[in-house]
Amino acid sequence: MTLLELDHVDFRYPDGAIGLAGCSLAIERGSRNALIGANGSGKTTLFQHCNGLLRPQSGVVRYAGKPLDYSRGGLRELRSCVGLVFQNPDHQLFSASVAEDVSFGPLNLGLDSPTVRQRVAAALAAVGMAGHADKAVHNLSFGQKKRVCIAGVLAMEPELLVLDEPMAGLDQRMRGELLAVLDGLHAQGITLLLATHDIDFAYRWAERIHLINAGACTASLPAADLAHADDALSALEMPLPTVVEVHRRLCAQGLLPAQPIPRSHGELLALLETHQMDSTWKKQLTTTNTTITTKKQ
Amino acid sequence: MLIEQSAYANRWRKVAPAAKGTFALAGFVAAFAAATPRAAIAVAALICLVTLVGARVAAGRYLRVAAPALIFLAISCLSLAFSVNVDVSASAFDLTPGGLQKVAAVGARSLAALAALLFLVLTTPLIDLIVLLRRLRTPEILLEIMVLCYRMLFVFSEAVHDTLTAQAARLGYSSNALALRSLGGLAANLTLQVWQRASDLHIAAQSRNNDGPLRFLEPSFANGRRDVAIACAGGTALVVLALLLGWGI
Repeated sequence: MTLLELDHVDFRYPDGAIGLAGCSLAIERGSRNALIGANGSGKTTLFQHCNGLLRPQSGVVRYAGKPLDYSRGGLRELRSCVGLVFQNPDHQLFSASVAEDVSFGPLNLGLDSPTVRQRVAAALAAVGMAGHADKAVHNLSFGQKKRVCIAGVLAMEPELLVLDEPMAGLDQRMRGELLAVLDGLHAQGITLLLATHDIDFAYRWAERIHLINAGACTASLPAADLAHADDALSALEMPLPTVVEVHRRLCAQGLLPAQPIPRSHGELLALLETHQMDSTWKKQLTTTNTTITTKKQ
Repeated sequence: MLIEQSAYANRWRKVAPAAKGTFALAGFVAAFAAATPRAAIAVAALICLVTLVGARVAAGRYLRVAAPALIFLAISCLSLAFSVNVDVSASAFDLTPGGLQKVAAVGARSLAALAALLFLVLTTPLIDLIVLLRRLRTPEILLEIMVLCYRMLFVFSEAVHDTLTAQAARLGYSSNALALRSLGGLAANLTLQVWQRASDLHIAAQSRNNDGPLRFLEPSFANGRRDVAIACAGGTALVVLALLLGWGI
């Protein structure tokens, strides 16, 4: 079932810059989505349309099948369902302490203090920041700030979580931790849409991939199909995922079969190991058969 | 930053801000109630002792935070004690009549008041003070400005540091003329950043359903009532001590 849909949306900024140009995109409920595009391709503009921060100049944005209602009440309902996490945490966090900042969204929903307290605790626990509730925001690391940003949106209990380049500026360990948080949220049934430049990560993690270029969504495909999307990717001047390129080369060398295509480095190694074992086993079998035949003769 | 570090690292970090506010207020009252310099000095020493021993604020940090205020106080005391003589034949500075008594009274009281203020700021993070002010029904608009200024202080100190480093790395401060030019560039850059950041924060607040006042959850403190009761008892004892010493008992 489609949760969010953009239908031929156009948006131009007051200075004439094109934000979106005939952009159409659909996000299925409960899915993991990655939006891939170069800098300035319209990813942030698209995300701000999802949350009702920007209004299309033409075209329609639909949530759960209904066109968005841009009245005060309509936006309140939409923003309680669609949570937006910004790229730079310092642009999102403006309260002095962690718990205060996380409480900001649920209090804006008009919830009472005990419920807000409960939601703040649950959201901080979900992102592994429960022990930092009383800390000042400026004393946190960049990765911790990012997690607090996610908690601030999670406390509003959204159905769809939109993250603008969540991995930007994080080291390998922090990326791993954030990924575990996102996987946990997905397991709880939250639909995820994130923007990234990292095609290897998108191919490995996402269920559906959307390509955006010059404000238009040029392709929406299951992540597995990205291995065959050479043309769509080269139009964006994007390379194929590294694992796909390596797999193709190994196939050409006759070291691996064309199917299945691995999605990650780990899967590729596992395939190689299995294939190697198969080859060794076949070789041994052939040798045994030859010996038996020779003996019989 | 020193104040900030101490406010988060002291032993009484989790004590209710209302209790610490009550004790600091009692310190101010005691400073004014102390009729003699001896009484005021005793009040200052006691509050200082409570801060250093009770809250375990490091003595070095305490002195470094107090130093600017103490220098200012010393200069003020000197200006109270001496008057400038315009008569060329006489000495340039004269001791004002009753100057030393005045200096002792004002200086000692100021020291006691300073000790009370330092007790509060070195043991209480600003976020807790804002909570206290909210409970005291401070106008919401003032609190919102405080929250935003406090948060932005750190964001901009980071931005200033980054810009200064970038300018220095390209010889931006290698001569006086270049330093002036670089400072101008820094100011212009920060002005733009202020505008941009304000816009970003507004968008971020809107995306979390904000439609006007900034609402935040107030933290709860375990044993709040007990802490306030202890602070009231300690504060009363301080005021009584100041009065007794002032009366020469």
